[in-house]
Amino acid sequence: MDTITLAGPLEAKLKAVRDAGFSQIMVSARDIVEHPGGEAAAIALVRQSGLRVTGFQTLRDFEGLPDHLHAYKLDIAKAMLVMCRALGSKLLVVCSSTSAHASGDPDVLARDLRKLAMLAVPLGIRVAYEALSWGKRVKEFPQAWNIVAAANRSNLGLELDSFHMLATRTELDELDLIDLQKVFLVQLSDFMWRELPSIEERINTARHFRVFPGEGLHGEEVADLVRRLDQKGYRGDYSLEVFNDDYTQLPPAFVTGRARQAVKWLTDRVSRRSLPVRRDRPRAQRSG
Amino acid sequence: MTVREPNPEPNNPLGMDGIEFIEYATSQPQALGSVLQSMGFVPIARHRSREVTLYRQGTMNLIVNAHPDALPGMSAPAATPELKAIALRVRDAAFAWRRSLDLGAWEMPTRASAMELNIPGIHGVGDSLIYFVDRYRDFSIYDVDFVPLPGAESRPLALAGLHYFGIVQSILEDRTADWLEFYEQLLGFTVLPEGKFFGVMPKGTLLESPCRKFYLQLVEPPPGSEDIHWEENLLRIGLGAPDVRAATRVLKERGVIFIDHGSVQPSEKGALTQVYFGGVTFELVVSHLKPGAPGGRGQP
Repeated sequence: MDTITLAGPLEAKLKAVRDAGFSQIMVSARDIVEHPGGEAAAIALVRQSGLRVTGFQTLRDFEGLPDHLHAYKLDIAKAMLVMCRALGSKLLVVCSSTSAHASGDPDVLARDLRKLAMLAVPLGIRVAYEALSWGKRVKEFPQAWNIVAAANRSNLGLELDSFHMLATRTELDELDLIDLQKVFLVQLSDFMWRELPSIEERINTARHFRVFPGEGLHGEEVADLVRRLDQKGYRGDYSLEVFNDDYTQLPPAFVTGRARQAVKWLTDRVSRRSLPVRRDRPRAQRSG
Repeated sequence: MTVREPNPEPNNPLGMDGIEFIEYATSQPQALGSVLQSMGFVPIARHRSREVTLYRQGTMNLIVNAHPDALPGMSAPAATPELKAIALRVRDAAFAWRRSLDLGAWEMPTRASAMELNIPGIHGVGDSLIYFVDRYRDFSIYDVDFVPLPGAESRPLALAGLHYFGIVQSILEDRTADWLEFYEQLLGFTVLPEGKFFGVMPKGTLLESPCRKFYLQLVEPPPGSEDIHWEENLLRIGLGAPDVRAATRVLKERGVIFIDHGSVQPSEKGALTQVYFGGVTFELVVSHLKPGAPGGRGQP
């Protein structure tokens, strides 16, 4: 589960997720800094929840910036990394840049991500790079993969988000070109209409109208994604990342109940070993 | 005076030239000092204003820092002495520092420094630091901050040719690749072929410094150690000796106890001392290295 799907204070979100039988939680920086008891209290709540932190999100518009903007963003990235470690998260999610000031030079993007990955090493954090479907240069996961592969750092990998993959209608056959050991996280969601041709529609839908797998129009494609990842050997974490304005004005228990249904819907279509909540985790598997 | 140009070489981008000093932090400096003295280190100078002592043996400088703010984010050093810093000799410290930051190193908090002299450094493993020192040929960094102890020999000879051989670092599971990149990319270390080991502790991954004057050993938790608390930090110092049996004999005469049971037996390859204070141990390794010049020409 992802806290961004749920309404209410952090305590209520953690309880609802735990009560619904989920074992992990994706945490956003806002969950921590907006907590009335302060940052330390929020971190303590998460650490005491018994839930494993799948990852911490989101560092935005990091890569490709010119000198003075890069220096500023570097400070932001460091502060995010420090929070990430304090939370006990082993994964930081970084979205592809939407900044008009960012370079599109793949070498520059790779260099900056390499630097971010290096900053993450002493903190024991892995960095997952996500292709936002409205990113300035990197919109699709094969582009993100090219940057990650060029950066060539062991703690830098990909995050795959079914929403963005569906929005850009990227062929799933492209997964064949990716080293799945370098996929650090898969986020699943769907939406209610067939196409998202414009950037504006993508942004609006992504932020307000996502739904759980099984609730939208692309369920079979989401199931196909999970099936393919499983068959190709992906054994990392899945997370349900559903930004939805309806869900954030309803009781968290109602929403986590629908999340459970989504997991069942997926497992009815995909072999059981792919089901995150029932999968036996090999010892060597990393968190996140 | 020589003008130092940042003139990176492909295989030694920082112009690294060995270890200038290694630093322990502890709230029990006397107790650690007595162990260090049995290992042959001699206290030669004391910090002008802080509870910091400089020990020396042959080419090795070792600092014991008991200042309350020795550890970043902590009010006082722990009772169990911890390895908290390695100072590397480099051609140009400012260049080394700048280059490291450009590649993604963390700037170290200045208040953690044992020195008042401004020695640039970066964050290493855990809360340890890596300092860069370029003034070691014609000037001693210790002249600025330290006062010689009365009657102390400023250049005590090494017992049995002991010298710094390397540092062992514990890392978490599946983290070897991350740390290899850290040391390779930032500092120019190279990984030795799998199976090449020195001493009696053949495990983990060995990295050779670009100056070929010392090694780092990265050790993940051994299989079956799920219940052992394992964290990332600098674990122990490896001391090189041309003749380990001779060195072991000399140290035993000084009261040092070596582990001689289980898989670790003193041999001509190496030996491991007992564990002091629940965490401090020294490893002897048969060494082909030629100790470099002692740190600095000035006094102490």
